[in-house]
Amino acid sequence: MAALLETAGLSKRFGGLVATNGVDVAIAAGEIRGLIGPNGAGKTTLVNLLTGLYAPDAGDIRLAGESIAGLSPHRIARKGLLRSFQVTRLFGNLSLLDNLLLPYLARGSGAVAEGLARARHFLDLTRLAPLAEAPAKSLSGGQRALLQVVCGFMVPELKCYVLDEPFAGINPVIKDRIIELILADNAERGTTFLIVSHEMTVMRRLCPKITVMIEGRVIAEGTLEEVAARRDVVEAYLGKTLA
Amino acid sequence: MFSSELLAQTLIAGVMIGVIYALMALGITFIYSIVKMINWAMGEFYMIGSFVQYALVVYLLGPDLWWVAAPLSAATVFLLGMVIEPILIKPMFTQGIERRDDYATVVTIALLLLLRNLATALGGPYQRNPGSDLPTVMIGPLPESGARFAAFLCTLLALALFYLLLKRTWLGLALRAAAQSRIGVETAGIDILRLDQVAFGIGVALAAIAGALLAPVFFVFPTNGVVTTVKGFEIIVIGGLGSIPGALVAGILLGVVESLGTAFISSPYQNAYGFLLVLLILLIRPSGLFGERVRQA
Repeated sequence: MAALLETAGLSKRFGGLVATNGVDVAIAAGEIRGLIGPNGAGKTTLVNLLTGLYAPDAGDIRLAGESIAGLSPHRIARKGLLRSFQVTRLFGNLSLLDNLLLPYLARGSGAVAEGLARARHFLDLTRLAPLAEAPAKSLSGGQRALLQVVCGFMVPELKCYVLDEPFAGINPVIKDRIIELILADNAERGTTFLIVSHEMTVMRRLCPKITVMIEGRVIAEGTLEEVAARRDVVEAYLGKTLA
Repeated sequence: MFSSELLAQTLIAGVMIGVIYALMALGITFIYSIVKMINWAMGEFYMIGSFVQYALVVYLLGPDLWWVAAPLSAATVFLLGMVIEPILIKPMFTQGIERRDDYATVVTIALLLLLRNLATALGGPYQRNPGSDLPTVMIGPLPESGARFAAFLCTLLALALFYLLLKRTWLGLALRAAAQSRIGVETAGIDILRLDQVAFGIGVALAAIAGALLAPVFFVFPTNGVVTTVKGFEIIVIGGLGSIPGALVAGILLGVVESLGTAFISSPYQNAYGFLLVLLILLIRPSGLFGERVRQA
């Protein structure tokens, strides 16, 4: 099957630092792919490249066969590639409902009434409904992470959802809720996911295939067991000499 | 010398002019909160608003239709802002400019000089007055200039429309979100550069409304925006940069302080009382009444 999201030789450097170095990744339509790697491996840089926050220095990104490299973030979002942020980018002074309405209405089409109905559906599902009118800044860290993940599901044209550390520092109950949301959306409309996380138990549950990045390169791909068995992966995580 | 009637009149006059001052500050704060830049040429948009008002009233509509001319003046300046923004401001975000604050300062001060000198070259340095046929209004036992009172009422209307735009429309939702996170808005699928353009247009239109409404009060000349701009920035220091309620409260406060000082201390120092208030605020609350101490995480 053709890949929904594909990169070829994707590189980005910041001064002398090569943050991503010729990254080739191909994610099939409907796949839930995991992306792991030690801190500084270039995972978030890759996410920023995919979603247009950075323009690549070299290489290409294709979404459903169409090059999206160098497009502005809002154009990429409107093509159905959305993302969440490691540090949540919710609008703290806006209500939960408004936070959810924003990505729905940003598409430039769609009625407010439909958007509200969709938002209420997700608020019920996530049990955030009693807080619908509260400002997002009143939420706990876990609730914020939950709300941010739901923001992407608000977009009917969502094709591929890139989640950057959606589970970091969240209690197990909310973690389970996010996992259920991902699995449900994947089953219902075949959304493709790329999930960056350090939570190996969650990754084992969600992702049949995992990509490992180290020092800006993809060094391994396979099931979690396969990549965890590799010596270079273990060394990267446990640390070899700092030379 | 002191009477409760004079005090009441002074307070009312202060609130009335203060609300109009607040329009200027609102425009500055609004543009800052979305585009993250300070528009130093705000007073020139006030000036253009007053000139358009003058031209419409004197050559086209007549003084009775001043209330038709005012929204037309604001709309003209809104469109002017929409034309200027992509040329001068947008490159700040698209050309990889690193020191955006410096860029915005230089560009808008250059714009200020250009517009001010253009106005002098085209119309000369003369003071013009579109005139006003509005009769003096009695507020209780107190007389108030008809033009000022009308300007006050129209300002309240403009503020109400601005509020509805922000709170009740899709554009307003996008603008409020952009004020909190530009990247968040972009990755949600909104064209932030387009939003910048609209925000700049709305911000300068607020200044133009003030200029149009105050044309018969403070007159029309190439540098008439200077004093109002200074007041706009005083209000922002008092109220806190980026705060809309701050701009309103501080605007009224400044109007009242000036008015009281003029009536009970000495009238030639009218423009100095605001600075005393600014100094006082800087001493006790440097971030302004409604300002946040830390604006960036």
